[in-house]
Amino acid sequence: MNPAFSVLFFTVLSGAGLGALALIALFDIGAAAGVVAVLMPPRLIALAATIAWLLVAAGLCSSALHLANPKNAWRAWSQWRTSWLSREAVVSLAFMPAAAIYVACWWWDAPPAARAALAVVVLLLAWTTLFCTAMIYASLKPIRQWHTRRVPLNFLLLGHASGALVVVAVLRGHGLAASHWALLAMALFVVAAIGKLEYWRYVRSGQRAVTLEQALGVAHGVRPPAAAGTPPSIMAARLLDAGHSRGTFLTREFVNHVAARRRMWVLAMAWGCGFLLPMIWLAVGLALWQGALLACVACAAGLLAERWLFFADARHTVRLYHGERTT
Amino acid sequence: LDKLKSRGAKFVSINPIRTGYSAIADDWIPIRPGTDGLLALAIVHVLLTAGSIDFEFLARYTNAPWLVIQAPGTADDGLFARGADGTPLIWDEGQGRTTAGITAQSQPSLFAQCTLADGRQARSVLALAAERYLDAEYAPEVVADACGVPATTIRRLAREMAQVAFRETIELPIAWTDAWGRKHAKVVGRPVAMYAMRGISAHSNGFQTCRALHLIQMLLGALDGPGNFRARAPYPKPVPPQIRPHNAAARVNTPLARPPLGFPMSPEDLALDADGRALRIDKAYTWEAPLASHGLMHMVIANAAAGDPYPIDTLMLFMANMAWNSSMNTSGTRAMLTAKHDDGSYRIPFIIVADAFASETVAFADLVLPDTTYLERYDAISLLDRPISEPDAAADAIRHPIIEPDRDVRPWQDVLVELAGRLRFPAFTAGDGTRRFADYQDFIVNYERAPGIGFLAGWRGVDGKRSLVGAPNPNQWQAYKDNKAFFAFHLPDAIKWHRYANLGYLEFAKKVGFVGEVEPIVMQIYSEPLQKFRLAGQGLYAGPCPTDPADRARLTKYFDPLPFWYSPLEMQATDGDAYPLHALTQRPMMMYHSWDSQNAWLRQIIADNAMYVNVATAAALGLADGDWAWVTSHAGRLRCRIRTMEGVEPNTVWTWNAIGKQSGAWGLAADAPEATNGFLLNHLIAEHLPGATPAGRRLTNSDPITGQAAWFDLRVRITRCVEGETGIEPTFGTLAALPGAMPPPGVLDWPATPADAEPAQ
Amino acid sequence: MKLGLVIDLDTCVGCHACATACKEWNGASAISGPLADLEPYGADPSGVWFNRVRHYEVGAFPATKTINFPMSCLHCEDAACVTVCPTGASYKRADGIVLVDQDKCMGCNLCAWACPYGARELDEVSGCMKKCTLCVDRVHDERLPEEERQPACVLACPTHARHFGDFDDPQSKVSQLSAARGGFGLLDELGYKPVNRYLPPRAVPVVAMDPAAPAAAPITPLAALSRLMARARDALSR
Ligand SMILES: Nc1nc2c(c(=O)[nH]1)N[C@H]1C(S)=C(S)[C@@H](COP(=O)(O)OP(=O)(O)OC[C@H]3O[C@@H](n4cnc5c(=O)[nH]c(N)nc54)[C@H](O)[C@@H]3O)O[C@H]1N2
Ligand SMILES: Nc1nc2c(c(=O)[nH]1)N[C@H]1C(S)=C(S)[C@@H](COP(=O)(O)OP(=O)(O)OC[C@H]3O[C@@H](n4cnc5c(=O)[nH]c(N)nc54)[C@H](O)[C@@H]3O)O[C@H]1N2
Ligand code: SF4
Ligand code: SF4
Ligand code: SF4
Ligand code: SF4
Ligand code: SF4
Ligand SMILES: [Mo]
Repeated sequence: MNPAFSVLFFTVLSGAGLGALALIALFDIGAAAGVVAVLMPPRLIALAATIAWLLVAAGLCSSALHLANPKNAWRAWSQWRTSWLSREAVVSLAFMPAAAIYVACWWWDAPPAARAALAVVVLLLAWTTLFCTAMIYASLKPIRQWHTRRVPLNFLLLGHASGALVVVAVLRGHGLAASHWALLAMALFVVAAIGKLEYWRYVRSGQRAVTLEQALGVAHGVRPPAAAGTPPSIMAARLLDAGHSRGTFLTREFVNHVAARRRMWVLAMAWGCGFLLPMIWLAVGLALWQGALLACVACAAGLLAERWLFFADARHTVRLYHGERTT
Repeated sequence: LDKLKSRGAKFVSINPIRTGYSAIADDWIPIRPGTDGLLALAIVHVLLTAGSIDFEFLARYTNAPWLVIQAPGTADDGLFARGADGTPLIWDEGQGRTTAGITAQSQPSLFAQCTLADGRQARSVLALAAERYLDAEYAPEVVADACGVPATTIRRLAREMAQVAFRETIELPIAWTDAWGRKHAKVVGRPVAMYAMRGISAHSNGFQTCRALHLIQMLLGALDGPGNFRARAPYPKPVPPQIRPHNAAARVNTPLARPPLGFPMSPEDLALDADGRALRIDKAYTWEAPLASHGLMHMVIANAAAGDPYPIDTLMLFMANMAWNSSMNTSGTRAMLTAKHDDGSYRIPFIIVADAFASETVAFADLVLPDTTYLERYDAISLLDRPISEPDAAADAIRHPIIEPDRDVRPWQDVLVELAGRLRFPAFTAGDGTRRFADYQDFIVNYERAPGIGFLAGWRGVDGKRSLVGAPNPNQWQAYKDNKAFFAFHLPDAIKWHRYANLGYLEFAKKVGFVGEVEPIVMQIYSEPLQKFRLAGQGLYAGPCPTDPADRARLTKYFDPLPFWYSPLEMQATDGDAYPLHALTQRPMMMYHSWDSQNAWLRQIIADNAMYVNVATAAALGLADGDWAWVTSHAGRLRCRIRTMEGVEPNTVWTWNAIGKQSGAWGLAADAPEATNGFLLNHLIAEHLPGATPAGRRLTNSDPITGQAAWFDLRVRITRCVEGETGIEPTFGTLAALPGAMPPPGVLDWPATPADAEPAQ
Repeated sequence: MKLGLVIDLDTCVGCHACATACKEWNGASAISGPLADLEPYGADPSGVWFNRVRHYEVGAFPATKTINFPMSCLHCEDAACVTVCPTGASYKRADGIVLVDQDKCMGCNLCAWACPYGARELDEVSGCMKKCTLCVDRVHDERLPEEERQPACVLACPTHARHFGDFDDPQSKVSQLSAARGGFGLLDELGYKPVNRYLPPRAVPVVAMDPAAPAAAPITPLAALSRLMARARDALSR
């Protein structure tokens, strides 16, 4: 798939924002239930929540840029019965005001019980939104790299890891050590990395790959006649002519070619910036706002690279009809 | 094809390339280009050996029983033995003697060998043919390598044809009467049919190859019956049609005595002056191309630029992109169009181009006559020209304007009619010396070739009620418009089949002017006109004979009265090791030559072309899909991209015809893919054969019999480009936009038809 | 009703007439026209097409077959392109036709992603998704003569490689053709239940050799000649 930057930004930014808000809400509930310590200090949590909310908002705005006909965007709330994109739109529509009130509760010191009650709503909506976003991709059967449960898992884990990083960054940017948050973030990054490794293993394994021969129906007899008496064999197919000399919507959208070298660099960036740098910073624990900003920017860049690969490595069945041997 | 396949017929494609129709063939025979004649004659060999022959068909409908004089070294050798009135003689088994012609009672001998009344020996055509084709030289095993077709395949093809022709006959309960008055209760079809076009005729052995294919159909008796190749009105015509070409020097203010193109019967019909020089600028009907019934358009510019046979002052081009895809040696041709004499004057002083589009040729014009497009004018697609008839119906058609021209253009046909009137051509001038026809429409309706016969066959007669023959009808155009622009006259069942000898048909055809006489049209296995030219080559002909030994050798070799195969001329003249590959073009189904590239939709489908090479051949040459490569012929080289494919004979490479364009032509952007990635194979095809005759003559790259352009004889080698060598070569700079040309739109979209509008039909 | 097309790979010669006829009809149609063309005379021409013809080869020389392969919307029974659409612009009608309501589409491309076959193309000028309408504005238009109530591509096809009809009706031409010729749906394994059926090339007809047919056993030319002469006499004296 041709990586669309508005969508990359959307999923990375709103993923982090949703992850951060989900974590804050989760601990808020935990604290109210007396399971964990109360989140401190409230002003910085409020700031972190605000930044998270803004990230989600920025992400949603960015996603609107992807629309070729935004004047009809409002209709996207109508098809929640079947469409994950519509569900995402509906849930995020609920999430945004709920989360805004929740953030306000932090700023204006609303009664903790009320805030915790709201936190339940925010948590559920954040998770649902993240899940819906992921399911937009995971529901697409023509793209085997997307059509797997590993995708929602990756989205949830990466959203939470990067969200935790945002909270740590706010705290450390204000000189706090934030060691519990850092530990949590670290753990989330490790699990997310494992999840991502598993995802890539799955993709490489070629499971559920579809071939050009399947796409053309070679097994159905679309092939030269078999010699009398021999069982029909699957013969190799190849594209002779795509029927167009220059680009089409389909080639622009689905058929992208990434040079192996380039892919290597992007992969290195995804691991280095998206996982390694944030984790080093989390471990070293320098409580400086410059470091915090750098870690967040690195993580964002790294996750954009990861998301870029998520798109670039996705091989839609349409590519078969344009001559590729397998998805 | 759909109907044939759904009825279980077998569709065999003999073609080096598997695209288009060949793609859906049940059987694909990837033959080596230029060897179809050999394949056909090997099939003839198998049919004769097996005796799978329709003897009755041969005896009645072909000249198989005609007696050929065997008198080597004399002027009559190889000519038909004829009776007092010129009728060819046959040996009648029943009477045990020769008779002139055939009657209903005749028992013609197919294998006659006899002594004529004057003591000379004679043999029947089939006896000569059988002797030739039964020879081991034509055995499938012998020709297999040259054709690239396994002997078993050749034998199978022949046997399948025989099986279908003789054991799966079709019989229709239609009574008909043959030309000798014999009544037949039914029509019998031997359902084998063959179709061939430029895969055969664009090779320099094409004429003899066509004859070889025709021979198979004659041996099988598979012509114009159910399941056969069938003639379409105004055909069939006698072979050769009784139209001689004009062959005297043109004189001022004097119309030609005969049509400019026709079918010579003997050397006397050549268009040569008293000194043996060509009368026509294209040198058609000379010793170099005696039966040039299509003319040699591809030689006109070269001959004019060389002043050979004579210089010209004006070159008028209409509907032909001669500075590009319809010339051989395109780079050279472009140079010829601007070539000058030593004194600085142009070799072709004045060039007029009538075109509807901004073609490459328009840029060479001194005078451009901007034509209408076919949507903006009247046209007649006449039975007198290239018919659109169906086998079962004589048909013609018109075009009429469906949009108003929005610019300063004039239908070229109107221009021609007006010119002819102003020049007072007799046919265009009334008794009082004024113009006879106001315009093209007037001309088409009112001109009569013979009384009652004009360009359009439908709705004739003053009342518009007559078909095919009738007085001019002033409302004829309207009648066509009222009938969706088509006219069809459906032949009654009884005169639809075996029309070459169908009495009812022949009488009808004479009445409507399709044929001159009610006589059977006898198919010619053995061609006497060819033999006359061959005698001329041997210096034996009792009439004009060529003097140049090169002509004599060619006539002697190629004008064989029986079909035979010879290696295409360019192949003979080039080193097979230096140029090991055949290079062909094909027409893309969605493009008409050069002039569909200006179509916004079609150019999305194909805007550039590459050279297709067999996968294994490419690998052996170190070529990969997408590589740039040099393609070199004896005439030059070009650079293009390579694409590999499986469905092409390994010794053949090919590309689409006329997709490449000059930058800036056709209203396309200067960097359009047609110019940056598209190329013309024509740069490598020379208009002359390599080398010269001992007398210093360059011979045309054409069929030595008909002068048909040998577009497909080309031989090339391919080498991979070195790193960094990319881009099409040769290129010719960017054409400036024509004055007044509108800049092309960046987006094409237009308001949709309202939903409640009447549906278009 | 389950309207759709049968596409006969045994007779498609790859001429693209169906593709251009489609663009002609639908470009002027109120349902989804115009179909914009970008840079129509420039270096990178492209445009919206509902039907594209691609060309493939299967096998290796000489046992290779060229397959011309037209593709348009297959009007799937289980059309994920419809279910993923967030705006409701994409819908499936009771007659089986899958359409995009141009007034509702927001141009998010998700339906194009959900279609395994590349049947949907975004019109960059209008910003809306477009696709084969099965010529809904022809096939039901009672003002047209009945034989013309067919998709433009079907009418244009010179080899009758395209057929239109109702797959719910077992008696319809499309049902019968598909049953008789082993019609299959593209990428059935993805579970979209495409309605359009592709007919694989027929088996090569066998010319059954009559055992009585003379075998072309090798004989000398002379022997062949005398046999031929004998046969000729036989045939002609009958
Ligand atoms: N779409 C479209 N249709 C056209 C035209 C067009 O430009 N576009 N042009 C019209 C005109 S002017 C003409 S003359 C006709 C020409 O019509 P065709 O004769 O069909 O023209 P080509 O495409 O040149 O096809 C020649 C075929 O012969 C094959 N061939 C080449 N050499 C050999 C050989 O030695 N043996 C055999 N067996 N096959 C061989 C080629 O592979 C090719 O498939 O088409 C007419 N129709
Ligand atoms: N390599 C190679 N070369 C070939 C062939 C091949 O197979 N291979 N085929 C040969 C054959 S068979 C042919 S017929 C020729 C064809 O070659 P051309 O006869 O040159 O064919 P077109 O490209 O159709 O060019 C016709 C010209 O007519 C113009 N035109 C179109 N419509 C109109 C109109 O209404 N009025 C006027 N006045 N002009 C109009 C077009 O703009 C164009 O400039 O090419 C030959 N050249
Ligand atoms: S293929 Fe096109 S140009 Fe040729 S006869 Fe048919 S409609 Fe006419
Ligand atoms: S072919 Fe594609 S667009 Fe058409 S119904 Fe099926 S999934 Fe939808
Ligand atoms: S592009 Fe239009 S039709 Fe397709 S899913 Fe989006 S809104 Fe629906
Ligand atoms: S059915 Fe109509 S819309 Fe669909 S491909 Fe055919 S012509 Fe185009
Ligand atoms: S019109 Fe018919 S033959 Fe031509 S590409 Fe389309 S389906 Fe194939
Ligand atoms: Mo031609």
